[in-house]
Amino acid sequence: MIELTDVSRTVTSGAGPLTILHPTSFQIPRGQAVAITGPSGSGKSTLLGLIAGLDAPSSGSIRLDGVEITTLGEDRLARLRGEKIGFVFQFFHLLPSLTAYENILVPMEIAGVASPQHRAKTLLGSVGLSDRGHHYPSQLSGGEQQRVAIARALANDPPIVLADEPTGNLDTATGRQVIDLLVEVNRQRGRTLVLVTHDIELAALADEIIALRDGRVVERRLNQRRAAV
Amino acid sequence: MGFVLRMAWRETRATWARLLFFFVCVAIGVAAIVVLRSVVQNVRATLTREARSLVGADLVVQSNRPWTADTRSRLESVLAAFRVLGRTELVETQTMAATLPGQGTGKVRLVELRGVAPGFPFYGSIELQGGQPYSHDLVARHGALVPAEFLAELGLQAGDELRLAGQSFTIRGVVVKDRVQRGGGTIAFGPRIYIDLVDLRATSLLGFGSRAAHQVLLRVDERDLDALTGQLRRSFERDVVTVRSWRTLEDRLGRNLTIAENYLSLVGFAIVVLGGIGVWSVTRVVVQQKIRSVAVLKCLGASSRQVLGTYLTQVTGLSAAGSALGVAIAALAVAAIPASLLEPLGIKSASITVSAALQGVVVGLLVSVLFALVPLLEVRRIKPILLLRADTRFTARRRDWQSWLAGGAIGVLLAAVAIWQAGSLLAGVFVSVGFAVIAGVLALASRLLVRATAPLARSSKFAVRHAIVSLGRPGNQTRVILMAVGLGCFFILAVRALQANLLEEFDAQLGGRSPDLILIDVQPDQVDGVRAVVAPRATEPPRFLPLMRARIVAVSGRRTRLENAEAVRAHGRLTREYGLTYRDGLQDNERILSGQFWSGPAAGEPARGEPQAEVSIVEEVQRDAQIDLGDLIRFDIGGQLLEARVTSVRKIAWDDAQNGGFYFVLRPGAATERVPHTFVGFVETGGNPAVRGALLRDLVTAYPNVSSIDVSAILDSIRHVVDNVTLGITIVGAVTLLGGMLILVGAVAMTKFQRLYEAAIYRTLGASTRLVATMVAVEYGMLGLLAGVLGAAGALGLSWALARWLFEIDWRPAPGLLSAGVVVTAITVAIVGLISSADVLIRKPLGTLRSE
Repeated sequence: MIELTDVSRTVTSGAGPLTILHPTSFQIPRGQAVAITGPSGSGKSTLLGLIAGLDAPSSGSIRLDGVEITTLGEDRLARLRGEKIGFVFQFFHLLPSLTAYENILVPMEIAGVASPQHRAKTLLGSVGLSDRGHHYPSQLSGGEQQRVAIARALANDPPIVLADEPTGNLDTATGRQVIDLLVEVNRQRGRTLVLVTHDIELAALADEIIALRDGRVVERRLNQRRAAV
Repeated sequence: MGFVLRMAWRETRATWARLLFFFVCVAIGVAAIVVLRSVVQNVRATLTREARSLVGADLVVQSNRPWTADTRSRLESVLAAFRVLGRTELVETQTMAATLPGQGTGKVRLVELRGVAPGFPFYGSIELQGGQPYSHDLVARHGALVPAEFLAELGLQAGDELRLAGQSFTIRGVVVKDRVQRGGGTIAFGPRIYIDLVDLRATSLLGFGSRAAHQVLLRVDERDLDALTGQLRRSFERDVVTVRSWRTLEDRLGRNLTIAENYLSLVGFAIVVLGGIGVWSVTRVVVQQKIRSVAVLKCLGASSRQVLGTYLTQVTGLSAAGSALGVAIAALAVAAIPASLLEPLGIKSASITVSAALQGVVVGLLVSVLFALVPLLEVRRIKPILLLRADTRFTARRRDWQSWLAGGAIGVLLAAVAIWQAGSLLAGVFVSVGFAVIAGVLALASRLLVRATAPLARSSKFAVRHAIVSLGRPGNQTRVILMAVGLGCFFILAVRALQANLLEEFDAQLGGRSPDLILIDVQPDQVDGVRAVVAPRATEPPRFLPLMRARIVAVSGRRTRLENAEAVRAHGRLTREYGLTYRDGLQDNERILSGQFWSGPAAGEPARGEPQAEVSIVEEVQRDAQIDLGDLIRFDIGGQLLEARVTSVRKIAWDDAQNGGFYFVLRPGAATERVPHTFVGFVETGGNPAVRGALLRDLVTAYPNVSSIDVSAILDSIRHVVDNVTLGITIVGAVTLLGGMLILVGAVAMTKFQRLYEAAIYRTLGASTRLVATMVAVEYGMLGLLAGVLGAAGALGLSWALARWLFEIDWRPAPGLLSAGVVVTAITVAIVGLISSADVLIRKPLGTLRSE
């Protein structure tokens, strides 16, 4: 369960304080898929960053599975992310100095999981890259990199997966593969999925769509006709 | 921990090519330290040996009067508190040596007689003809050791008898080379003859009023040396007793050795700092490139400590490996030093010493980790939120108190390393403060540069315009290059400037103006005649100096009143015998502090009731004996009394004692003509023994009473040591220059990674290779020029401060060196910038853009 209560974010710019997210409250129940949409600069990524504890809100409270995260220190937050949150980024953000296989190992190593090798191999297989494990990110295509990123996001079996424009940098066909994987994460594995996306096809898969504009929630609607995969 | 180690290994595996330079920097720094330290240790051993042989012992206590029961007991009581490893005595005096009637040439010769006890000599060697080893048995029971030239002069040979002070001695050996207490401040007044101290005491030579130096030679533990020296000096403060150790050699030679040692240690540290700058530059670039990775790790749950731990482990591992490579390079380099270079240093072969290797590794690790820590700490402040932004460049915010604290701690630690390496608090502080000041100035200068060159951004030339714009761009390399090159330039130039100063100093001390032949006992009426004999063969006109020996028997002044000789003795400060001279001008090393120095000799006899002469005193006399202008001093000169009024006080630059240093100088006139005195002649023969021999023959024929002292041997021995030191300094200077240049080239080359992207974009937008190259050259050239100017200014200041306060030598600016440094820096930086960007200029831009 993700709970946001009156969460806002104001930054100071050259021209004075600028509110990039006005006070916002909503809840995302466990296992739900939510798409956050809106034009550029509407505050989507800010909202996602706040949920992940990557940024601190100017006001309000954020609770993940009952834990208030706005009062936690940097290192405590890092540990919480390691345990509870899997991340998928638009620009993949794999560690360039590590192979695909090692990239998947890292979150488990950080969390201190004993003998994570088997799980890393299984995850690599589940994204269809069993034979590419020893390749470095620069040797993989964009779609392959994003699949490695999804496998990495699932490494510690987190209850929540956050994805920031996961198909934004991919062509339609590769984007489709990624979409399939994310849907599987949500529907088969029962993980909570929060997506920031412009992609109508991707948004159509969500249980709920939250539309932002100028830092305010302008629409929340349940997706009755949730697309089948 | 497992994660940290694994990540450190993976990071190293992937970025080894870029980290190679880090590795090389550490290796060069450590190699330089180990080479320098090893050479310094080898040279220092030689220099210590030289210094010890000059003093003849670890410590010498010398009195110009026979030891009394009181002085003896005070000496014993001080020595009782220390562990004395060896002890012997000698007495040195002058006498006439003669052949037995009917033997040899029948000549009589003034000789320096040295009575020695068993145990002599502790240091230095006496080489005898035929390889015969020196032992006390050779002199015991009326034996004598004499120099070869003396034998020839008197027409004697080994085994013959010799008369000294009315007693006869058997010549048991011929001294070929005497390297004990030679040139250590005392001038030998003739050939030196060794006899047994027991026999010398049995002669009449050491009776009341005789001139003899009574020495106690001591061998003590090196750790006790300074304490013992100090205590003995305090104990004999009021006596005519001098205490000198090889370490506190107070003559110019000793000072030169100390200066050289300090200098060498300092240079060793400077080169490590250069390596540190290289390390800093690489780490900074690596951290910049790792920002996204760090953010990802933090996003995946890694704590700041884990991330910092990863990179710190990597840096430490690389430093350790680099240090090991450095030691290996040093071992090869030292082994490769040709024997011809080592020969003059007094060593057959050099090898790295264990202590030098250890020290190199420790300093290498410490400095590289400390320098790397500065940019590495930035890792803590990287926020994972930047992954959600398109631009993942890390923009530095204001430093928090932790980074200031860390910066301060690193600074203090570096200063501590500097102090350790320089072996002196003062030197370490100078270097650290100099470093801090120049770093601050460079940071400020980089801002000013951006502002000052801003108008050029309106230039009609595209390349200039964009080069200037990129100087002021946020996150550019302006600051890095200015810091790295500026500091590097500062260190290299300071070392070179100091080297030039030191060498000039040594040269000035031993300049061509050294007479190699000293003539003594020239009577006043013989001066013109001797000059006429000598002048044709001398390379410079000979100089003659009137000399009289005097004691002060009364002082009548405002602060000091001493009625008679007893009062003078009781006063204690003026008891010794002084050498006096008269002349009507100042020497080069003198200046007047108060009063007025006379011009020309005094005319006629003084009025009744007026003192007979005028005297000029040195400031030390004014200060210690409290004698002022207008006071009267009565001298006893060879039994005749002479009263003189103090009319001026002089300051003598004792460093430049070449020009002599007289405590009392009289105004020439009728009174000075009357008192008994002789002249000392200084002759330069250009170091040619044949010329010297011919000159001496002529002189002996015309003026048999005039004695000559050949000081070329003393000069040679001093020159020998100074040459070693000079060579050492030159080698060190070359090592610094080479190592420093290499490191700086690398530091500049590292900044290319930041330029890759811009260059690719310019090329995409249609800029020709030539245009991009011009931009790069202008930008780097500009940076090099400014860094060079700032470094040179800093070097000027540092070399001045070090020369003035630490080495206490005259400082001369080195304008040629400094301006050459600036030009070379600017050109080098421009060329290195261009070459290192070569692949950027040649490569297709798409590859670069894609990998960004």
